[in-house]
Amino acid sequence: MAQDLRTEHKGRILAVKDLPTLPKVLDEVNRLVEDPESSTEQIAKVISYDQVLSAKVLKMVNSPIYGFPGRIASVQHALVLLGYNVIRGIIISTSVFDIMTQSMVGLWEHSVGCALACAEVARQAGFEDPEEYSVSGLLHDLGKVVATVQLPEIKTEIEQVIKDKDIGYRDAERQVLGFGHDRINAWLADHWNLPPKLREGMAHHHKPLSAEFYPAMACVVHVGDFLVRLMEYGSAGDDNVSALDPQALKLLKLGQSDLESILDGLCDKFIEVSDLSFD
Amino acid sequence: MADSTSICSFQRRIRCYAVTPDEELFEVLEDVWPEENAVWIQFPSTAEALEVLFTEPPDLLLVDDRLEGMKGADVVSLVKSENVYRQLPVVYCLAPELLDQVSWSKVEADEFLLLPVDAREARSRLSLTLCRVSRSLDANPLTRLPGNTTIIQRIQDLIDAKEEFGLAYVDLDHFKSFNDKYGFSRGDEVLLMSARILVNTVRGIKARYSFVGHVGGDDFVFILPLDIVEQGCAQVVERFDAIVPSFYDPEDQARGKIVSKDRQGKTREFPLMAVSIAVVANREAKLEHFGQASEIAMALKKKAKENPKSCYVLDRRHG
Repeated sequence: MAQDLRTEHKGRILAVKDLPTLPKVLDEVNRLVEDPESSTEQIAKVISYDQVLSAKVLKMVNSPIYGFPGRIASVQHALVLLGYNVIRGIIISTSVFDIMTQSMVGLWEHSVGCALACAEVARQAGFEDPEEYSVSGLLHDLGKVVATVQLPEIKTEIEQVIKDKDIGYRDAERQVLGFGHDRINAWLADHWNLPPKLREGMAHHHKPLSAEFYPAMACVVHVGDFLVRLMEYGSAGDDNVSALDPQALKLLKLGQSDLESILDGLCDKFIEVSDLSFD
Repeated sequence: MADSTSICSFQRRIRCYAVTPDEELFEVLEDVWPEENAVWIQFPSTAEALEVLFTEPPDLLLVDDRLEGMKGADVVSLVKSENVYRQLPVVYCLAPELLDQVSWSKVEADEFLLLPVDAREARSRLSLTLCRVSRSLDANPLTRLPGNTTIIQRIQDLIDAKEEFGLAYVDLDHFKSFNDKYGFSRGDEVLLMSARILVNTVRGIKARYSFVGHVGGDDFVFILPLDIVEQGCAQVVERFDAIVPSFYDPEDQARGKIVSKDRQGKTREFPLMAVSIAVVANREAKLEHFGQASEIAMALKKKAKENPKSCYVLDRRHG
C-alpha cells in the first residue's frame, strides 16, 4: 500500500466531525432526557449500550476544557461530571445513519455483546471495576464505525475482499486501507484524550500481549471479543471466530472451567438484554 | 427595569467619577440612575481627579478622551497599570472617528461610550460594565464559580428573606497529601472535578433556589432548601467517592492509599481523599447574620473531620 494513500485515509478518518448512531437508541435516550423523572443511572444505562453515544460523552468529559483529560473511563461518571445540559446538547447534536444497514445493526449488537462479555471476564478474573472493562469492550470496534462513516466507498471494498478471499475483517482492512480498526482506535483514543486503560483495550484487543501499560485490559477485551463471536451474538462484519491467544488466558489466570462459568453468566446476560434491539 | 431598585448587585448607593470637561455629558450621566442609587462627581481635568481617585476610588470611573494635559487614554492606562486599582471598572468616552485608532490592548478600558452619549445606551452599558466586573472579579480563577463576596451576599439575602435553607460547607480530606505527592496541576484536576460534581448534583435536585460557590482551595459551599439538603449531601459523598480513585496513579488506586516520603525521608501513608460536609441549618429562620452561620459551620466541620471517610454532619440544633 502506498504510504501517501495510507496517510490520506488516516487524515480523513481523524477528520470525523459527526458520528451518527442508530435511530432506536437515539429515540430512547431522547425520551429519557426529556422526561424530568428519569435518573442519571437510567440515562447512563441506555448510553452504555451505544458505542457512539458512549464515545461522545467520554470524548467530551476528557476534553481539556473540563480540566481533567484522560481521567474518566466510566459512562456513569462522565454523566455525573457533564451534567444534564451538556448531555442534552450532545444528544440533540447527534444524528442517525441515513441508511440503516444490516451490517451496522450487527456491529451494534456485537459491541454490546462484547461489553457484557468483558464485564463477565473481568469479574471472573477478579478485577475490581468491571465497568471500565465493559466500556473498553463496547468501544473495541469503534474504528470500524468511524471508517465506515468517513470512507463509505472503502467499506464496500472491504466487504468484497472478505467475501472473495474469505479472510477476517482486520486483514481485509489492512489490505484495503493500509491499517486495521485497532490502529484507528489508537488514533481516536489519543485524539480524544481517552484514559490510557481504555486506549489499550481498544487498540490491542487483537494482539493483547503487545499492550504496554495495561495488558490485562487488552486481554479481557481479546477474550470478550472471542466469546461473543463464539456465541454468535451480533456480527463483527465477518464470520470468523478469531483465534484465542492462550497467553491472554494465562495472563488473566483463567482456565477452562473459568471460561465455562463466564459463558454461563454471559448466557444469562444475553437473556436479560434480549428485548434490546437496534433495528 | 430592575435598576430602579438597585444597580447590579450593589446594596448601597454607588459612587461614580466622571473625568470630563463636558457639562452636557455630565448631565446625561447624572440621569442614568436614580439619585438614591448613584452619585456622580465631576472632575473637569485630570489634575483635579487623580488624588481623589487614588485615595477614595469610586465604584465606576468614566474618562473622557477630550482632556487637557494628560490624555484620556493615559488616565485609563495609569489606573489599570496599578494592581490596587486594576479592578476598578473604567469606561472610556470618545468620538466615533477615533475608534479605528484605539488599541484596546493598550487602553485597558472595560467599556466605551461614543460621543455624543445617548442616555438609554449609556444606562445599559454602564450597568453591564458594573455587573461584568463584579462577576469576573469574584469568580474563582480555577473553577469560575462565584467567590466569597457573592457567597456571603447570597447567604445574607436568604437570611433576610427568612428562608429555611441548608448551608453546606464542603472540603476535601487529605487534599494536601495528594498535592504533595502528585503536584499542583493534578490537585487542580481534583478541584475541577469536585466543582463539577457539586454543580451538577445541586442543579440536578429540583429546588426553588440553589447555589454553589468556591471559597478557595479545597473549600466549597452549596445551598439548598433545608428539607432537601441532606439528599444533596448524600449524593455528593457517593459521587465523589466513586470518581476520585480515577485521579490517582494505578498503583495507589490498587492500594487504596498513597505512599510517599516526608521531608525526613520517612515513608508515610495517606488514605485516598474524602469529602467532608458540614451543614448549617437555618431552621425556623433563626439566623440573623452571616457571621452566625460561619461560626456554627466551623464547629460542625470539626465534627465532620473526625470521620476519616467521606461524610456529612447536619446541624441538629433547634432554636
